[in-house]
Amino acid sequence: MSKEKQSRTVQTTGHAWDGDIQEFNNPLPTWWLWGFYATVVFAIVYWIFYPAWPIGDDYTKGIGNEIEYTTKDGKTVTTHWNTRALYERDLQEARAVSDKFAASLKDVGYADILKDADKSNYATSAANVLFADNCAGCHQPGGAGLPGHYPSLVDDDWIWGSSYEKVEETIRKGRQGIMPGFSASLKDAQVSDVAEYVLSLSGESVDDEMVKRGQKIFHGDAGCVVCHTKTGQGNIDMGSANLTDQIWTVANINTKSDHDKKLVAVKKIINNGINRSMPAWEKRFTDTEIKMLTLYVHQLGSSN
Amino acid sequence: MSETNVQPYNYGIIRLFTIMAIVWGVLGMFAGVYIALELTWPIFNLDTPAITFGRLRPVHTTLVIFGFGGSALFATSYYVVQRTCQVRLSSDVMANITFWGWQTSIALAVISYMAGFTQAREYAEMVWPIDILIAVTWVTYFIVFVHTLARRTQPHIYVANWFFVAFILATAILHIFNNMEVPISLFSLKSYSLHAGVQDAMTQWWYGHNAVGFFLTAAFLGMMYYFVPKQAGRPVYSYRLSIIHFWALVFLYMWVGAHHLHWTALPDWTSTLAATFSILLLLPSWGGMINGIMTLSGAWDKLRSDPVIRFLIVALSFYGMSTFEGPLMSLKSVNALSHYTDWTIGHVHSGALGWVAMVTFGSFYHLIPRLWETKMYSDRLIFLHFWLATIGIVLYISAMWVAGVGQGLMLRAFDEYGNLAYTFIETVEFLKNPYAIRALGGAFFLIGIVIMAYNVFMTIRQSRIERVALEAKIAAKLAKA
Repeated sequence: MSKEKQSRTVQTTGHAWDGDIQEFNNPLPTWWLWGFYATVVFAIVYWIFYPAWPIGDDYTKGIGNEIEYTTKDGKTVTTHWNTRALYERDLQEARAVSDKFAASLKDVGYADILKDADKSNYATSAANVLFADNCAGCHQPGGAGLPGHYPSLVDDDWIWGSSYEKVEETIRKGRQGIMPGFSASLKDAQVSDVAEYVLSLSGESVDDEMVKRGQKIFHGDAGCVVCHTKTGQGNIDMGSANLTDQIWTVANINTKSDHDKKLVAVKKIINNGINRSMPAWEKRFTDTEIKMLTLYVHQLGSSN
Repeated sequence: MSETNVQPYNYGIIRLFTIMAIVWGVLGMFAGVYIALELTWPIFNLDTPAITFGRLRPVHTTLVIFGFGGSALFATSYYVVQRTCQVRLSSDVMANITFWGWQTSIALAVISYMAGFTQAREYAEMVWPIDILIAVTWVTYFIVFVHTLARRTQPHIYVANWFFVAFILATAILHIFNNMEVPISLFSLKSYSLHAGVQDAMTQWWYGHNAVGFFLTAAFLGMMYYFVPKQAGRPVYSYRLSIIHFWALVFLYMWVGAHHLHWTALPDWTSTLAATFSILLLLPSWGGMINGIMTLSGAWDKLRSDPVIRFLIVALSFYGMSTFEGPLMSLKSVNALSHYTDWTIGHVHSGALGWVAMVTFGSFYHLIPRLWETKMYSDRLIFLHFWLATIGIVLYISAMWVAGVGQGLMLRAFDEYGNLAYTFIETVEFLKNPYAIRALGGAFFLIGIVIMAYNVFMTIRQSRIERVALEAKIAAKLAKA
């Protein structure tokens, strides 16, 4: 090999360290040197065309690199190349596509959007991101909710109503889900009876005597019927749960193995009450965004 | 001279640093594997704040960079400077101060992070009292090293020592300027940085990248310049190249830190300079690789039989690869894809595992038998370590490439309606499989260093046994006489 020969003939620098470490004095490899020059040329060209060197309070802007973009408010800006402008231009390009679709949703009713494949596909695509960025924090990715804390949006139970109008109202104004606790007004045995009765409404009870006593309290002194109604089906106008549909939105009894544990879970709610709230989103979203989210959330669960 | 009873070299301090490098290495790499598991399966948090990712991550980086890497550099620089200057370290007391100061700093840093105390500056998380301890330790290190060089009996200063001096000097400057801060009170561990806003970020990444440049590159090149020619038994390829690439490297590195802040509030001209200087840095970085590999060429046959050479050649290859990848990632358009993704993590580890750890392992397997005057306990275990480490790195880096490029592309994808195609959580779900493979790669690497620790432990034990046997022999002979 020629290289091998070359380094054999090259002399060392003449010193030896630590007994045997010597150094050849080979010239710089040609490809290495030219490679380095190439990077120097690259850097200089880069400096000519892009913002590069500070001079006093100013800096070189680079030549022939004007960027033009339109802001959200419709203002047109022309500037030298900079990363902020690139970002603005990217947003502008995305907006140019999505604004067309968004405009087509304006002044169109829910039923008409659903009939039009382009419109409904656009709404789903936009709302998917809106939901993930704004709603999934509580309602979880996919809308499954957290039992006891944040309602599931994928079951068939709509606490505040399933119509488009009701869902939109929920998003716009937010909701306050409040049930008082009864630990002060009812004795523990009474709470157990009421809990057993509540379980009986969805066929989960085992003790008929308790159910009978609980029914009396439920319909009588405790006043549960005021919100949950006489049939126990709740009232979507006040967000009181339907106790008869076997969908448990707060006491998560479906995961409990035996009856005692189910009873304890329901008792906990009766004793402590509920205090859940969802903020109003009216001011955070545009009307079109609310419309798209309404459609999206509506199709997550089946409507009754 | 009155020092006739003194050993020609101070090996005691080198032995201490070598042992601690391996101890911190095992702990630090364990922490790394553990947080990799946490990222894949959050159940590993065990609902315990002290071991969550946010606290264990600086524990991992501090232990591997400063505990393992730092101790290895103290050990090898003290070895190299003594051997190539043919003189004992100038002060045993000061050398001991550097040992205890450094080890105490590492231990305190780890404890304080787990207790939740941090400055929130990457690779400089230590709170201010630890910063002061490190500054004192480091200045002492500088004095010992330079004073030893000044007392050399050789006419010239060997190239490895240039790199070590550059590393010690630059690290002192970086550490002190990046940690200029005002404690909120004398009895509080919290402090405010003297810089604010984007200047603070600039200072931090000027520090951060030069920690890579001078701590993890220049210093380990110093290690390479001694152990590669020594182990290969061949002269360094080019003295001229070593001069040119040394000065180019130390000049250019100082400019590039801002490439960590592309696409932020940083002025664009600063970004440009950082990007172009990073490109300029490519060939000077490669100078070290060329000098290393060309020194080994002609000794290729040793690759088959000498595991140390294997570690060194793989280290140089990964060094070449990651110093190519780095300038590439510093270009703004590439950075737009790579930044904030695991590509960065992969890049760091191809440097940290592939270059820093591999060159350290190679150097240690050369150094340890000489420090304890025996042979390594098992050559087969060294080969096993080599293969575990190499496979681990490859798994790690390729998993992070997939994770980083994949997530980067997902984050910027738009659908045909002009909406983002993916939600953030979808990009996180995508990471799970690459993360599992990364944890596996890390585990390979960890097992490798555990085997090394065992091998070194047995070597030291064997050296004790041999010495006792030798002393007994001498005593027996003396008794006879």
